[in-house]
Amino acid sequence: RKLRCGTERAGGRGLDHPGYPGAGFWLGVEWDNPERGKHDGSHEGTVYFKCRHPTGGSFIRPNKVNFGVDFLTALKNRYVLEDGPEEDGKEQIVTIGNRTVQTVGFDSVIKRQSQLNKLEDISLRNCAVNGAGDKGGIARACPHIRKVDLSRNLLSSWDDVIDIADQLKDLEVLNLSENKLEFPSCSTSLIGTFSALKVLVLNRTGITWAEVLRCAPGWPVLEELYLGSNNICISERPVDVLQTVKLLDLSSNQLIDENQLFLIAYLPRLEQLILSNIGISSIHFPDAGIGCKTSLFPSLQYLVVNDNQISQWSFINELDKLQSLDTLSCVRNPLTAGSKDSQTTRQFIIARIGQLKTLDRCQILPEERRGAELDYRKAFGNEWKKAGGHQNPDKNRPNEEFLAAHPRYQFLCQKYGAPEDGELKTQQPFILKNQLLTLKIRYPDQLDQKVLEKQLPDSMTIQKVKGLLSRLLKVPVSQLLLSYESPKMPGREIELENDQQSLQFYSVENGDSLLVRW
Amino acid sequence: MILFGVNLLSSTFPLISYVPLTRECLSIHIGQAGIQIGDACWELYCLEHGIQPDGGVLDSKKDQLENANVEHMDASFDTFFCETRAGKYVPRALFMDLEPTVVDGIRTGKYRSLFHPEQLVSGKEDAANNYARGHYSVGSEIIDLVLERIRKLAKQCSGLQGFLIFRSFGGGTGSGFTSLLMEQLSIEYSRKTKLEFSVYPAPRISTAVVEPYNSILTTHSTIEHSDCSFMVDNEAIFDICHRKLGVERPSYASINRLIGQAVSSITASLRFKGPLNVDLIEFQTNLVPYPRIHFPMTTFAPIISADKAYHEELSVSDITAACFEFSNQLVKCDPRLGKYMACCLLYRGDVVPKDVNAAIAAMKSRNSVRFVDWCPTGFKVGINNQPPVAMPGGDLAKVQRAVCMLSNTTAIVEAWARLDHKFDLMYAKRAFLHWYIREGMEEGEFSEAREDLAALEKDYEEVGQSF
Repeated sequence: RKLRCGTERAGGRGLDHPGYPGAGFWLGVEWDNPERGKHDGSHEGTVYFKCRHPTGGSFIRPNKVNFGVDFLTALKNRYVLEDGPEEDGKEQIVTIGNRTVQTVGFDSVIKRQSQLNKLEDISLRNCAVNGAGDKGGIARACPHIRKVDLSRNLLSSWDDVIDIADQLKDLEVLNLSENKLEFPSCSTSLIGTFSALKVLVLNRTGITWAEVLRCAPGWPVLEELYLGSNNICISERPVDVLQTVKLLDLSSNQLIDENQLFLIAYLPRLEQLILSNIGISSIHFPDAGIGCKTSLFPSLQYLVVNDNQISQWSFINELDKLQSLDTLSCVRNPLTAGSKDSQTTRQFIIARIGQLKTLDRCQILPEERRGAELDYRKAFGNEWKKAGGHQNPDKNRPNEEFLAAHPRYQFLCQKYGAPEDGELKTQQPFILKNQLLTLKIRYPDQLDQKVLEKQLPDSMTIQKVKGLLSRLLKVPVSQLLLSYESPKMPGREIELENDQQSLQFYSVENGDSLLVRW
Repeated sequence: MILFGVNLLSSTFPLISYVPLTRECLSIHIGQAGIQIGDACWELYCLEHGIQPDGGVLDSKKDQLENANVEHMDASFDTFFCETRAGKYVPRALFMDLEPTVVDGIRTGKYRSLFHPEQLVSGKEDAANNYARGHYSVGSEIIDLVLERIRKLAKQCSGLQGFLIFRSFGGGTGSGFTSLLMEQLSIEYSRKTKLEFSVYPAPRISTAVVEPYNSILTTHSTIEHSDCSFMVDNEAIFDICHRKLGVERPSYASINRLIGQAVSSITASLRFKGPLNVDLIEFQTNLVPYPRIHFPMTTFAPIISADKAYHEELSVSDITAACFEFSNQLVKCDPRLGKYMACCLLYRGDVVPKDVNAAIAAMKSRNSVRFVDWCPTGFKVGINNQPPVAMPGGDLAKVQRAVCMLSNTTAIVEAWARLDHKFDLMYAKRAFLHWYIREGMEEGEFSEAREDLAALEKDYEEVGQSF
């Protein structure tokens, strides 16, 4: 039996044992929170009961515990105000700061909510519900309930849940999170109990995959199943069960790995898969080669892989193999964390997954896709060429390694054309060093003068060059005549006659020679 | 073509001995911001009321509707929708802009069959982010048409309560045309309430350099015609979307959907039958201590990402506490630096009075909630049991309960001070002024507006002072 002590919940285990020192009736409990207790069920050598955790157990006096109430009582406690005329003569006055709070219309709210048979959407979270209570009671009082939040209660087994659900024929949404439930050990065949159930939330219930599959035949129209934080290990393929499920939430189950995912890959209607925080770092679809589509996860449209260990681009490449994927959330992974290059990372993800329409909750507009694909093509152009790529389709044979790392690259070259060499030249940063021309200075009329090498900015005017040379050679400026020749044009000498123009104007380039005469 | 219909209640159910008094509200959406927010709001209203994109009602909702008519006196559904002879529901709304692109978006969008063509008004030449064009030159050409359309909508109302005006402060149409319209509405419908939902220019994200000019000019001309103005600011919502909803780069669609949720919470009591039978006058009376001090701050909770559905359970206490958190505010200002003059907590969904009392008792110890000395009543709390609806495919998770807090705090003067400062920087150099002068405005109007805002800042300071 489950019970509540203070704010913590526990499972009541063995009952009294006369040998326990301290007279009277003690209750042995195993806490839901494994660190709450003092021992593992044994005291001074005697084992009174067994616990899963060395500090999971305690002995407590029965008067300190609350065994909870049944569903109907909890419902009435919450929604019906039992107000006798003798109880509170005055309306309770509440204050915030030093101001009174005026409530509007609470009486009518109370009146309306008291009509239990009208209730459709209720929450009994943390209300110490321990079971269904009298048989048929719920069905008589509130049969129209469609959504129930029974999280954080004292339900101890799946049978308790069935007792409640049996009486709620219209039940569509059921939240049982944070109830440590005991599940049946063999497959149960139930007819009609969960006939309308579309959404089932079992986060933090300790359920195992095998138990899910055992209970699943009772959920014929289930569309959304939430199994977060249960330490689940997917052990077998669901056969004939869970076939209607559209959304599966497996977040925070750290024992799941990529191989287990293959076991759920054939669910025909699975559209949304949430795999946040499971520690996954890689994925591989073996049935599809580079550029082909896999037959796994045929209906999967929305994949969430936030808070994982994804650090390789190969993961993203594999996602392109999914047939129906159009929405991806991939934040807080080593690959995408770090805001320095986040724009580039986003672009690369877009470029690598061709049919992606929404990334990280931002729609990808056609212009963004175009820009991303062009930039991706340019960014890896040099690598492509080194790997054997070529603008000429006959000579284009990039090696296997490149194709595996960039499966969409060839397709992008076909779509936009192969990258030109001009595009691939890496931009030199605009620092002065890069703008300097290294020039040789020769004196054709004075053969005994040494050839100098100087670095001059290309924006320097001829007048200033002459000034520099004049100081060097001790020759007056007016007597200098400058021209230059280039190894690119052998034998040709170009005169630099206009003093106001710059070296750049005359297309003087790096490695050219200035010829000085006077 | 579907024509505007007549409220058929009395003829359909002759057994009722009296005609229920409906208190209709007309929504007017002005400029790009107003229209796009309107788009998000009406989409949400349709989801909540079960109205299809063509105006028809989902079957299960119809039963609810009929039961409502027989049982209960207040037909609140009719406050926002008008029922036609064919049984379709048409929103009581008007969308206008000085240029056609945004309105065309509605004309060709998902809800094009919901609106009558006469409800979508567009001009040819836009206001170019210029108050003067919106108010004087371009706006004056279309004002008569707009007023005529409003008259038509008002004629179908048996008991028009007032107007809800959606607009931005920074745009040309939103600032200029709105002030022109408000002046005219005050003349023609003098006793009707006018509530505004205004988009305040974001502190650090600016779409136009002249936003401060437009904002100050429009505030000056609208302040005496508006009864209450709920401000939202794009930057606060941008941060909410980014931090709480995990949206990398929030688009206007995300921002508008969030604003839509807040607006829906504020108007829920007007649209659904319920115990909180609030009409627009009540908002005024409770939130506005002086005619000019009518800029409450809006806070909304809970804000949970759709990816985290069912992972976070937020009780009434949690969402109440969240209302006093800086990060849930829809306008950037620090309420701890100011004093509260009035506060409304509007709960919706699965909320029981017991939980509310407990949540509020837990708030008792908060000494950061300071009230002005002269205001005796503090908080007003109401519940509407209609649950919040999440847009399918949207960023917000479906939750069982939500709360919207409207608080009139003196701390909002920070928002005005920011704007005034930016205005001063530009006006000192008379920068960009010629664009306004050219359209027929005078410099005098600028200094007059600025003085008015300085007086507003002083007013806030005064009300916050202790005796």
